[in-house]
Amino acid sequence: MTRYLRLLRIFTGATLSAQLEYRANFVGALLASLGAVGVALLGLGIVFGQPGMSSVGGWSFREALLVTGFFMLTEGVINVFIEPNMSKIADAIRTGSMDFTLLKPIDAQFGVSTRYLNVLRVPDLLIGLGLITSAASGLSVTLLGVLGAALLYASAVVIVYCIWLALSTTAFWFVKTQNVAELFNSVFGAARFPVSAFPLPVRAFLTFVVPVAFITTVPAQAMTGQLAWGVALASPVVAAALFVATRLFWLRAVGSYTSASS
Amino acid sequence: MTPSPPDAAVHVRDLRKAYAVHEKEPGFLGSVRSFVSRQTRLVEAVRGVSFDLHPGEIVGFLGPNGAGKTTTLKMLSGLLHPSGGEARVAGFEPRRREAAFLRQITLVMGQKQQLIWDLPALDSFLVNQAIYEIPDDQYRATMREYTDVLGLDGILKKQVRKLSLGERMKCELAAALLHRPRVLFLDEPTIGLDVNMQESVRAFVRDYNERHGATVILTSHYMADVTALARRILVIDQGALVFDGDLGSLAGQARAGKTIRLQLRSPVTAQALAGYGQDVSVDGLSAQLSVPRAQVSERAARLLADLDVADLTVEDPSIEAVMADLFGHRTPPAPAPTTLERA
Repeated sequence: MTRYLRLLRIFTGATLSAQLEYRANFVGALLASLGAVGVALLGLGIVFGQPGMSSVGGWSFREALLVTGFFMLTEGVINVFIEPNMSKIADAIRTGSMDFTLLKPIDAQFGVSTRYLNVLRVPDLLIGLGLITSAASGLSVTLLGVLGAALLYASAVVIVYCIWLALSTTAFWFVKTQNVAELFNSVFGAARFPVSAFPLPVRAFLTFVVPVAFITTVPAQAMTGQLAWGVALASPVVAAALFVATRLFWLRAVGSYTSASS
Repeated sequence: MTPSPPDAAVHVRDLRKAYAVHEKEPGFLGSVRSFVSRQTRLVEAVRGVSFDLHPGEIVGFLGPNGAGKTTTLKMLSGLLHPSGGEARVAGFEPRRREAAFLRQITLVMGQKQQLIWDLPALDSFLVNQAIYEIPDDQYRATMREYTDVLGLDGILKKQVRKLSLGERMKCELAAALLHRPRVLFLDEPTIGLDVNMQESVRAFVRDYNERHGATVILTSHYMADVTALARRILVIDQGALVFDGDLGSLAGQARAGKTIRLQLRSPVTAQALAGYGQDVSVDGLSAQLSVPRAQVSERAARLLADLDVADLTVEDPSIEAVMADLFGHRTPPAPAPTTLERA
């Protein structure tokens, strides 16, 4: 365990040094972060800006803003921790550099999942946390609610990671899978609104098929104390089940690795 | 002497690998057709290969492109799961990829790189030190040794993207051998390097082998690599092992005869030499021709008697000529010849 923490430190150091090589990138990334938050707020503004629109699917503006905050935070988690690693899996398979990962005496899934960080997108994380804090300040939030939300959000991150890994792992068979990220983003875009804002069939899809509901709506509900116990339990269970399933899928994929020629 | 499996560094029996490959007609229409319904064909890349290596042995692995060399090395290093047969390396079954196994081997691929492109090689070394849990004092000793033998001074702190191909390959080797593996799989380690660089890579491999008693399997397109390092040669063709023995007997396997070189005191024509052997070439006062191995002494005696010869030498055919001879005709692979001698 301490060994893997040490590896995380070394990986982080290496990936940070590599990015510091390219300073001009920072400005562009900051603009991208600000653009993303602008789009998210604009969406909320359009919905709530309509006359007589004080709530959507039973969510007030501040509550909906909380969901947007979790959405931005999740964008940050994806951009900083998940996407930089997952997007390299397909490349590594296509060019054959996956060979080196598989030759190392560490868990290969750990290796491909933790090797890179994109510090340039850290502002996404900060913006997300800022939105959550400012939305929550106008709502009655208990300490228990915050703890519950933190726990459920941790499960949500596991769920997001598993979906990304499962989609990226298909590259072991299909090799080129850049569209997979697009696929995730197109569905994940729905998470910027509370699930109850959608018609029932869509809501069911976002809960049971692609569990996007668990990522933003559920932590926000926990924070405002609107969450039923059953749903609170479901989130960690879904996360654990997905993690095990993804692990098995990964191991199968590695077994059928064909490696690029010489 | 075939070592029994427990003593062998590498033990391979009837190893097989079959791939399903997509086939596509050329052109756009072909692409559309293949997108709609993929034609797959099973290709047997390795078809029942068997051999054993002693600990500390250096073996040259030769064969034309696509013969199955790289596939075999990848199976032995655990990257590919064999579709049949048995492989044991340093007492482990490679496909299980146990950490204890991976710590004892390395695979160097001349055409792939593991160094972090934007950082100096030293940063990649530190990552590998952490991954392999190399103690600091051992890391320093290893770095001293490699810096010395490979001449890494002054290149370790430059970003990898700014290194020349040769410098980068030296760093790749050091990174791949940082954990002092006992079994080395070297796949074209000198590809694209100039002659000096090739020589320093060879010197490093030789030195490492002598110092640490490591077992080495080496594939290369440069015959000089193989002849300089390996006494034993494995030749693979179309997925099957067609030769296992020492360099000298490989020359004997080929139908190519020996080469007789002549220095003459008076010029002769090629026609005049035609009766003595094949592939006659004449260049002023020097000439060469090839003769069947069994008739070398008789032909040499006749040449000495008939012509005004200043000097006559008999040479084994070059390894290139032997390989061309073995693979130039593309006959279906014969059953593997019996092993003649082990280095």
